[in-house]
Amino acid sequence: MSQVSSDVGLQNDAPAGGDPSGEVAGKTPGQLFWARFKQDRVAFVGLGVIFLLVALALGAGLIAHYITHRGPNDLSLARQMRDEFGLPKGPNSTYIFGADTAGRDLFIRVIYGARTSLEVAIIATGISVFIGVCLGMTAGFFGGKIDTVISRTIDVILSLPLLVFALGIAAACGTTKEGCFGGFLKPGLGVVVFIIAAFSWPYIARIVRGNTLSLREKEFVEASRSLGASNRRIMFREVLPNLVAPILVYSTLIIPSNIVFEAALSFLGLGVPQHTPSWGRMLSEASRNLEGAPWLMIFPVLFLVTTTLAFNLLGDGLRDALDPRAGR
Amino acid sequence: MTKKRNLALIGLLMVMAMVAAACGGNDDTPGTGGTGTTSATGADVQPGGDVTIEAEEFGFTSGFDPSGEYLGNAWGVMSNMLLRTVMGYKHLGGAEGNEIVPDLAAQEPEVSDDGKTYTFTLRDDVSFGPPVSRPVTARDVEYAFRRIATKSVNALYAGYYVGTIEGLEVGDDPGKDGISGIEVKGDNQIIFHLTKPTGDFLYRLAMPATAPIPEEVAKCFTNAGEYGRFVISSAGYMFDGSDKLDISSCDSMKPISGFDPTKFMKLVRNPDNEGVEDPNRPNYADTWTETINTNTNDIEQRVLADQVDFVGTPTPPTLKKFLQDDALKPRLHVDAGDRTWYITLNLNSAPMDDIHVRKAVNWVMDKEGLRLAWGGPTQGEIANHIIPDTMLNGELDDYAPYGSEGDAGDATKAAEEMKQSKYDKNQDGKCDEAPECQGVLEISSNTPPNTDMIPVIEDSLAKIGITIDDKAVTDAYTPIQTVSKQVPISPRPGWGKDYADPYTFMGPLFDSRTILCEGNSNYSLVGFTQKQADECGVPYAGDIPSVDDDIDNCIATADDAERQTCWADLDKKLMEEVVPWVPYLDATQVYATSAAVTNYDFDQFSGTPAWSRIAVDPSKQQ
Repeated sequence: MSQVSSDVGLQNDAPAGGDPSGEVAGKTPGQLFWARFKQDRVAFVGLGVIFLLVALALGAGLIAHYITHRGPNDLSLARQMRDEFGLPKGPNSTYIFGADTAGRDLFIRVIYGARTSLEVAIIATGISVFIGVCLGMTAGFFGGKIDTVISRTIDVILSLPLLVFALGIAAACGTTKEGCFGGFLKPGLGVVVFIIAAFSWPYIARIVRGNTLSLREKEFVEASRSLGASNRRIMFREVLPNLVAPILVYSTLIIPSNIVFEAALSFLGLGVPQHTPSWGRMLSEASRNLEGAPWLMIFPVLFLVTTTLAFNLLGDGLRDALDPRAGR
Repeated sequence: MTKKRNLALIGLLMVMAMVAAACGGNDDTPGTGGTGTTSATGADVQPGGDVTIEAEEFGFTSGFDPSGEYLGNAWGVMSNMLLRTVMGYKHLGGAEGNEIVPDLAAQEPEVSDDGKTYTFTLRDDVSFGPPVSRPVTARDVEYAFRRIATKSVNALYAGYYVGTIEGLEVGDDPGKDGISGIEVKGDNQIIFHLTKPTGDFLYRLAMPATAPIPEEVAKCFTNAGEYGRFVISSAGYMFDGSDKLDISSCDSMKPISGFDPTKFMKLVRNPDNEGVEDPNRPNYADTWTETINTNTNDIEQRVLADQVDFVGTPTPPTLKKFLQDDALKPRLHVDAGDRTWYITLNLNSAPMDDIHVRKAVNWVMDKEGLRLAWGGPTQGEIANHIIPDTMLNGELDDYAPYGSEGDAGDATKAAEEMKQSKYDKNQDGKCDEAPECQGVLEISSNTPPNTDMIPVIEDSLAKIGITIDDKAVTDAYTPIQTVSKQVPISPRPGWGKDYADPYTFMGPLFDSRTILCEGNSNYSLVGFTQKQADECGVPYAGDIPSVDDDIDNCIATADDAERQTCWADLDKKLMEEVVPWVPYLDATQVYATSAAVTNYDFDQFSGTPAWSRIAVDPSKQQ
């Protein structure tokens, strides 16, 4: 998919010492990355789509206020936008995406849904990356018993029946006002973010651990250690910077799976609260009347697929640009 | 790329799952149609054939045990096809279907002058079906009451008999001669001695729990729901395979093969009923089968394709299809459901503990919006008070204490009412920014139409400054039946009559003496006392009105018309002085049928098709 130009490849393959004549300028890793990345048009499109989605999500309120003059829960046209059986009407000049089952503007709900999806995905991914990096690096760097404990924990979590477990937590904590664990988990976005983060950090941790295991044996780490650097310094100043590339790539790839996970939880009625627009919940409602109101499924699916695809393409592009040796 | 492929696969699977959920397709349902030999033509009703029903669930409350079943679906099957009761119904729709007529009784009872003694002579030609196959006697009716009085059986509406029939108390074992108020003389005479005149007593003797039960079988099944798989027929049909039941001992009895609570129920003709006169049950079909199919969409498609004969409460898209197609329209049957759907307001929980807030909620609610969430006018009339109009003989047809234009709610009147509330200190017509008014807990069901009602309720309540925190759950009834949960508002409940007297609404729903800390049906806590609050461990909001005296007064009224007026007055009092509900739908009962159904009648008592009057043309079944 992405193309790496031959001259970039050549530069990369140039001897570490460079040409003594000085005609070939040395490039920083950042410059190298950018040179490769900007030639990957597909990844660029992915990035563009993500920018657009973020802009839509951030601007949802403004669009609702200034353009459509309706919020995501506005029912002022609910009568006109449904027939006498309470069935929603399809796309028209007022509701460009049609009405949802309650007679609300589907367009506004879909773009507010982008906000929910991105919010959940980015926060949950952030938390899981943080936990994954901390534990993965600790396990890989120190090895021994610490590694055993962390690695086995990861194995246990990865072997849990994810969806069943997630449904259990969501059902237990998401349907009472008090939440659970003494109010630690309150119903709503919090539960969804917690569940997603709790189940996705092991993937990051495993990758980080593997990379740390090989990095800690490298010469520059040995050199640093022989100069008397502390473990902490080595971890944060020597190892961590070298982990940035895989972390970035896998974070980008984990975001779409988290978006899909949130949609699945909401589809099953255990995600975000009822009135919060969510693509998953919209799909769940659409399945009741696919024949009569296909737009209820088409638009949320379109946005869901586009978003996950964009993040995947960007992730692939980043991986290619950051680590051109990685095969496809 | 593995990751990407996985994601693509997950996405694809999700879309496929959704399409499957929407389009359905369940081909492994047992085929039941097309074996009849008689072809019905024109309006002629030909006996024979197999009636097939599919439903998402049986919805039984006690495994089909007649003593514990408390919902219309089970009553419809029992009273139309399986069980005869001392008094019964004509099994027709409308007012005629609510009339009470002798069933097992040979004629109307003799009632003593003080209205406390009812003497019945039973018919001598009714027999139990196989394998019992012996005449039904008064002793079998008396045994049904002993079961009602047996605690472990958990007879859910025992309250209609306890305190009414002398000596009938629920206990561990009432013993063979345990109920002093029920006297049996010979095989055919049964006398009921009541503690007080009870105007609707005959209705109570038409409830399935009072149908005769053979002790030789049922004595082995005295825990709740157990007898459900061994029900012995006293009417036109029986469980398929009943004749194979070995009743020589308790140990030898294995569940009858014709009923599996998770899969299906099949009824066939009861050979012991042949030649028994029964003017109200013509028993047209040869067999009747209900099969569980969790895919509603699939059931509806199968009814449209004449593969299944009945579907109850079709979804709005299917309803639309039936109503807009002239060929399909005659196959849609809409009858009065004698059922009110309502939003319950908790009189002991802020901010609904203030009558002005409750009135404001009634004024502001967009009832038409709620009805649209149900599927529009076919689903029923907008309800403006508690008892369905069909049960009050039209007395309150024009009564709408909180009526508004187009039933869309009246925000101005709501604001005026709200201003008088203690929660509107700044007098702006909106509930203040106090915690009592913000994020008010609401428990709803997580299935339609509840899910579609929530936006309407949120939108309406926002107009009077109340924001709600809706919790949509699978089982919404448990929290609202648990006093300690203090649920201020819930749009989940509906209440259908047990029998055609309004007492069946007023008693269970508003009598403070029936309030239980758990499993309570007086969700609004009308008449709740400080003592009960202490018992249930909740703070008492104070000053909660009671209508217990009004209920006692109405129930003692023997004259039917006077009693109805008494209930109508109480309905008005509740709506104006207590305001426990926002009633919004006086619901209809809708059934769609296949083209094979040649005769349809509605059973007003149970709110289901009058199954024994359903006739099918096997040649039209696919």
